[in-house]
Amino acid sequence: MDVVDHLSAVRTGRLSRRAFSRTLLGAGICLTTMPVFRGRAAAQQEQGTFFTWAGYDVPQLFGEYKAKNGALPNFAIFGGTEEALTKMRGGFVVDVAHPCNAGLLRWIDSGLFQPIDVSRLSNWPDVLPELVTLEGNNAGNGKHWLAPFDWGQTSVTYRTDLFELKGEESWDMLWDERYTGRLGSLASGGDAWWCGAIKAGVPFKDIATHEAFEKISAVMRAQRPLIRVYTDTTATLEQALSAGEIVAAMTWNSSATLLKSQGVPVKFAQPKEGALTWVCGVMIHKDAPHLDRAYDIVNSLLSVDAGKFMINDYGYGHSNKKSFEAFDDKTLAGLNLSRTPSDILNAGHFQIPQSQEWETRMNETFEAIKAGF
Amino acid sequence: MATTPNAQASSAGVGKRDHFRLTGWLHRSEALRGYLLLSPTLVIMTVGIAVPVLILTVLSFWTREGFGFDTTLTVANYTRIANQPIFSVFLLRSFWVSGVVTLFTVLLCYPMAYYVAFHVHRHKMVWIILMTLPFWTSYLLRVFAWKVILGYEGVINSGLLTVGLIEAPLEFLLYSQTAVIITLAHAWAAFAILPLYVSLEKIDRSLLEAGADLGDGPFWRFLRITLPLSMPGVISATFLIFIPTTGDYITPTLLGGPDGAMIGNLIQLQFGPVDNWPMGAALSIVLTLWIMAVAVVFLLLARILRERTT
Repeated sequence: MDVVDHLSAVRTGRLSRRAFSRTLLGAGICLTTMPVFRGRAAAQQEQGTFFTWAGYDVPQLFGEYKAKNGALPNFAIFGGTEEALTKMRGGFVVDVAHPCNAGLLRWIDSGLFQPIDVSRLSNWPDVLPELVTLEGNNAGNGKHWLAPFDWGQTSVTYRTDLFELKGEESWDMLWDERYTGRLGSLASGGDAWWCGAIKAGVPFKDIATHEAFEKISAVMRAQRPLIRVYTDTTATLEQALSAGEIVAAMTWNSSATLLKSQGVPVKFAQPKEGALTWVCGVMIHKDAPHLDRAYDIVNSLLSVDAGKFMINDYGYGHSNKKSFEAFDDKTLAGLNLSRTPSDILNAGHFQIPQSQEWETRMNETFEAIKAGF
Repeated sequence: MATTPNAQASSAGVGKRDHFRLTGWLHRSEALRGYLLLSPTLVIMTVGIAVPVLILTVLSFWTREGFGFDTTLTVANYTRIANQPIFSVFLLRSFWVSGVVTLFTVLLCYPMAYYVAFHVHRHKMVWIILMTLPFWTSYLLRVFAWKVILGYEGVINSGLLTVGLIEAPLEFLLYSQTAVIITLAHAWAAFAILPLYVSLEKIDRSLLEAGADLGDGPFWRFLRITLPLSMPGVISATFLIFIPTTGDYITPTLLGGPDGAMIGNLIQLQFGPVDNWPMGAALSIVLTLWIMAVAVVFLLLARILRERTT
């Protein structure tokens, strides 16, 4: 079939209906069969799926996985663990998901996950035991619901050149009216509400009481007019901090570490009231379509290589004790990390699991406050 | 026409008779033929729109209960929407934002469509394609492009800073309602240009010549002939922009900041972190009803206006 011939036929208006249909048929067959011949696209489909925050979808964490399976796992991204749980309860099936200690009990209760057979994980013997013994994590028969992966803090990252510190580092920095419209915050209540509790002076064991709700709401409401942007994407906060658009923001360890490595003068504050601390890990979906790959994902995340990357590039703590061997104590202290996680976790305020009613009420209240009510 | 196949069928086999009966039936009943022709569309409409809307309506009369739903029918969600100010504020803000967006888009696109319809005589298709070229890229990409343009270190701010017109970057450009309005107006422009162009293109040029012969200047010719005759295009452009932008949620999420959130964000929250699907369903239904009401009022106004002018 000559293309030029066809074009001239169109131009002179002599293209017959039959010839036109034939061309269309040819084009149609080409289009529909194209994906069949794309072997790589097909191979991609067979990988396991990891449901996580943005930032964990990087090849550095999946060296072992890639060596074994030839490609990276597929990624699905969420903005907060509550959103992720809702999505999975709505029928979204993944292989591995990434909750934190505060949500662990409710995630187990949802019945959407299967206990992890740790004997299938070659890196399990090196996992720090104190991270495994989270409340409710033991599933019996030597199995565990959650394989701990990362731990760290939620605190204030601020520009040392733009933010004029009054006295000690404190959560008050994010409530400083001198910087109205130049402060940023994480949008997820799973972080922000707990930080509000620290600021309001509410002990975490009382966080479910009515007075606690009143107090924290008042604090969050007072903060809202000062905030330029609430976001689920840490990159948004990082860009704004590096541009000087905002001078301080509620972030995790990684934002400060990433910005420092780019030469932006920032500091990850150690507020005098204590930072918010957490442990996150991975759980395997009960209907995981690629169970073997799911274990590969978990094992790869627990590997020493992944751990070194987490500590060095993101500034998070890792669950493999051997990943810390590459770093000296001074470096670790500079990153607010320690070989004994409990040093850091207990120095701050460690999140306590809450009921589903609490989570819903908290999210509803916080969303209304963010909207200006 | 209908009797001939039946007459033939009497002498043929049984299967053939059935076949002819069917075609005969089809030939006789115009309605049936109509439905048969429509059937692919009808199936899609039923499966894709009617059924989901029905599910949404039923869901909106349920209430949330822990992880599941309490399926006793109640109007609790609707009374909550009526009583709590947050919902009406968001609805009003959404209508305000998309109203402004619609106005600006139609006003800006009308001259473009007018120019191509009246003053371009060769390669019109090339012009149309050029004007709609930005819309060949993804919607999300366009939103992010605006983020780059409006940003703190963005194109506008660094431009103005270099020229020396401003001393500090303009902060209202990003994370505000302004940003949402600008982005939506650009993102939906193609949906205004095309209907406007089609209705302007159809206008009989001899009417304009007649108007000129009778002494109307360009201004009155436009007001008395071109504008009324292009009204169908203006109305469809208005609807095509107003309806989807009211419920838009990705633009306010990325560019709106704390004060730029719209009703679409509220609905998304109900289905996401807040985890109250019945409430989200009720909000969606209320939004749909409101859009319908606004559309009807707009249509009536347009009709009254047309009757007044002609």
